[in-house]
Amino acid sequence: MNKITSISDVRRYFHNNKTPIYFVSATNFNLLGIGDWVGNFRHINYIDCFDGRQKNVFVPKEKFPRDFESIEDINNYLLEHKEVIDFLKTRGGEGTATFLMFDEHTEEVCEQLGLKVAFPPAELRSRMDNKIETVRIGNKVGVPSVPNVLAKVDSYAHLQEVSAELGTQDLVIQSAYGDSGHTTFFVSNEDEYYKYAEEIEAEPEVKIMKRINCRGSAIEACTTRCGTVVGPLMTELVGFKTLTPYKGGWCGNEMFAGAFSQEVRDKAREYTFKFGEALRDEGYRGYFELDFLIDMDTEEVFLGELNPRVTGASSLTNVAAFAHSDVPLFLFHLLEFSDVEFDIDIAEINERWAHPDSIDSWSQLVIKHTDESIDLLTQAPQSGVWKMAADGSIDYDHYSYHPHAAESEQEAFFVRISGVGDFRYEGADLGILITRGRLMDDDFQLNERAKAWIEGIRGQFAGQALQDPVVEEVAVSHAIGGGNFKIL
Amino acid sequence: MNKQLEFRSVAEAQPGAKWQALFDHHWPAYERWYLSETERERPGYLACYNALSRHMPELLPTYERLCELAGGGDLASRMLSLYRPPAYITGCSQAVLANAHANLLVRNYDYPPELCEGTILASCWNGRRVIAMSDCLWGVLDGINEQGLTVSLAFGGRTTVGDGFGAPIILRYILEFCETTPEAVEVLARVPTHMAYNITVSDARGRYVTAMISPDRPASIRRIPVATNHQKKIEWYAHALASETLIRERQLSILVADEATTEQRLVSAFFAPPLFRRDYRRGLGTIYTAVYHPEEGRASFFWPGATLAMSFADPREQQLTIHYGSRTQRAAEGNRTGHYNE
Repeated sequence: MNKITSISDVRRYFHNNKTPIYFVSATNFNLLGIGDWVGNFRHINYIDCFDGRQKNVFVPKEKFPRDFESIEDINNYLLEHKEVIDFLKTRGGEGTATFLMFDEHTEEVCEQLGLKVAFPPAELRSRMDNKIETVRIGNKVGVPSVPNVLAKVDSYAHLQEVSAELGTQDLVIQSAYGDSGHTTFFVSNEDEYYKYAEEIEAEPEVKIMKRINCRGSAIEACTTRCGTVVGPLMTELVGFKTLTPYKGGWCGNEMFAGAFSQEVRDKAREYTFKFGEALRDEGYRGYFELDFLIDMDTEEVFLGELNPRVTGASSLTNVAAFAHSDVPLFLFHLLEFSDVEFDIDIAEINERWAHPDSIDSWSQLVIKHTDESIDLLTQAPQSGVWKMAADGSIDYDHYSYHPHAAESEQEAFFVRISGVGDFRYEGADLGILITRGRLMDDDFQLNERAKAWIEGIRGQFAGQALQDPVVEEVAVSHAIGGGNFKIL
Repeated sequence: MNKQLEFRSVAEAQPGAKWQALFDHHWPAYERWYLSETERERPGYLACYNALSRHMPELLPTYERLCELAGGGDLASRMLSLYRPPAYITGCSQAVLANAHANLLVRNYDYPPELCEGTILASCWNGRRVIAMSDCLWGVLDGINEQGLTVSLAFGGRTTVGDGFGAPIILRYILEFCETTPEAVEVLARVPTHMAYNITVSDARGRYVTAMISPDRPASIRRIPVATNHQKKIEWYAHALASETLIRERQLSILVADEATTEQRLVSAFFAPPLFRRDYRRGLGTIYTAVYHPEEGRASFFWPGATLAMSFADPREQQLTIHYGSRTQRAAEGNRTGHYNE
């Protein structure tokens, strides 16, 4: 193909793609269904959420209980696994690799395996991922953060001193790196400070924010040489005790046309576009996600954090009506990293995608084990489409790999993460439920349907208590020692 | 205390069904050993492949073929590379007698009988015939190739563990691709080991060396005909005491330095204390004595009351059962139950 100038060119280009493209990750959840758009697309995963039924998912058979320290660690393990290397060879040995997370070691391994990494270098990504750097980039291009100061903190008195200009004792403190509520500290008095003092004081610099009455939101975008393509603004489900044990932890998203007021949505889109352009100036290209904090008292829109990568919200961004009428956002990412020339009218796409008709309503719940108990799973619901009866009970309907297979709000598509033989411990990801329609009410509380689905899915899991103290100790160290990795 | 071990010689020129059967038989035990410090402690397959490719590239086709026979799995392939395996220790005494009247390398292998494979493999994997006592499924404890190059390993008596290969794979590499002692020396100086070992090498022309290799310092390669379980000065006193390494070294040094020592006298010395050890309870008893004749290209293996001879001209397949007891008499009695299978 000479030059791509239209969406139909993009579709055809990827439809006819012959060079293997891989998504290497713990599960295939983040990029569900992308294989429908991209020829020769394969997932290389650690967990087989589809029990061997999903033919474009490759999972090495030979695995041992192992404490992974991060998603990068999982990906590196996968890429160095003989079965994966043999699999790559059977597919010609060359190709493009995409990830949720990767590091310099991943880059070295990919180079040896003949895989091109379709992301900016790990070093640059890591710099962009720094929350403090995010604030600086935003400030540069007029994308404001919640009133904050960036400082090294030595004591509570010192904290008060450096944050005096914020004019409040109600503070939120974040370290440069961290995820889903693990490194966000809410501090409004000395006692609260001492709960986290060690972690706060260990950081060379922290972001100290004024605490505002806000709602979390997420928006995904992709910065390309032709401009930044912006997806819809989604609400975020945060810290629900029925879903996650982590206070402030991400546990899902909702996407619907009327999420927040038109003014807020327009503002978030404008900021995202500006931020995307600023990222490109920094040398970053491709997919990214921004969290915005919407002040419920003033409707102001503040930059929360940047995730320079595919995220947990990508599963929704890439299934909505606009994605199907044009192409999923992720294809712009692949296009940016392909060797083909393209010249596409991004402004026109953004205008189309901003239209309420382009955004049909989808929601997802990330369901974790929230009890402190530990047991071994003896029963787990399979992935596919589940149906809810009038009385709120649920039943398995049929196998599918695509969220679209759930046709109505009475149905939901479930991706099983923890399976039979896995430990169920506090914080373990049990699975992710994707359904049409909303799961929160206008006050950002889980609605009845959400609660029924959560209860229904939890009821499909059964575990065996651990009687043997040795096994229990192994289980506990597995849970505490970092064996649990989170779906991001 | 009464342990027994099957020894068998297996002749298979190219890796095939016989090697596969050996793998299948021994793999469950090796898998447990390989996972003993948890799987995460062992390097990934790619790192193993890269290490072999960097340090012993000529060995790769054989390695790949063996991985295939082993089922092509990740863990077995990692273990077969012998790159950074779990640490292990052995005893062992070895000596070369090379003069106008004799040219031989003799060694005692002191180790827990239950952990010894008992396989003497006659192969021709890379165009060169090799007869060797197998360890780690294709590694070499001691052996000879058809050019008369002979090698033998002994634990070096140091606790240091580092980045490198298990010595048996280095010995395999030497026998597959070297003809002479100088060539072997080059390999021993170059290929990293993960533990301290004393490797004695001798060739058809009677050139011999002992290489003291370690992961943390350059190999010390000197024209020394004997080796036991220490490198220069004693570092691990408990092991040195338990294995009586100094006594054995002294005995061997006196023997080989004495002009009156004949082949027979040297070999006989390995059948009696202090070289022959009955410390089976602590895993430091002598499991076998190997005698290699580089010029004639033949190998003999000895147990009290039993022998097994092999040559390149006649790599016979044989099998015998050895009983290990704390008393010589009992061991000898046990050997009468041994049987040969041709």
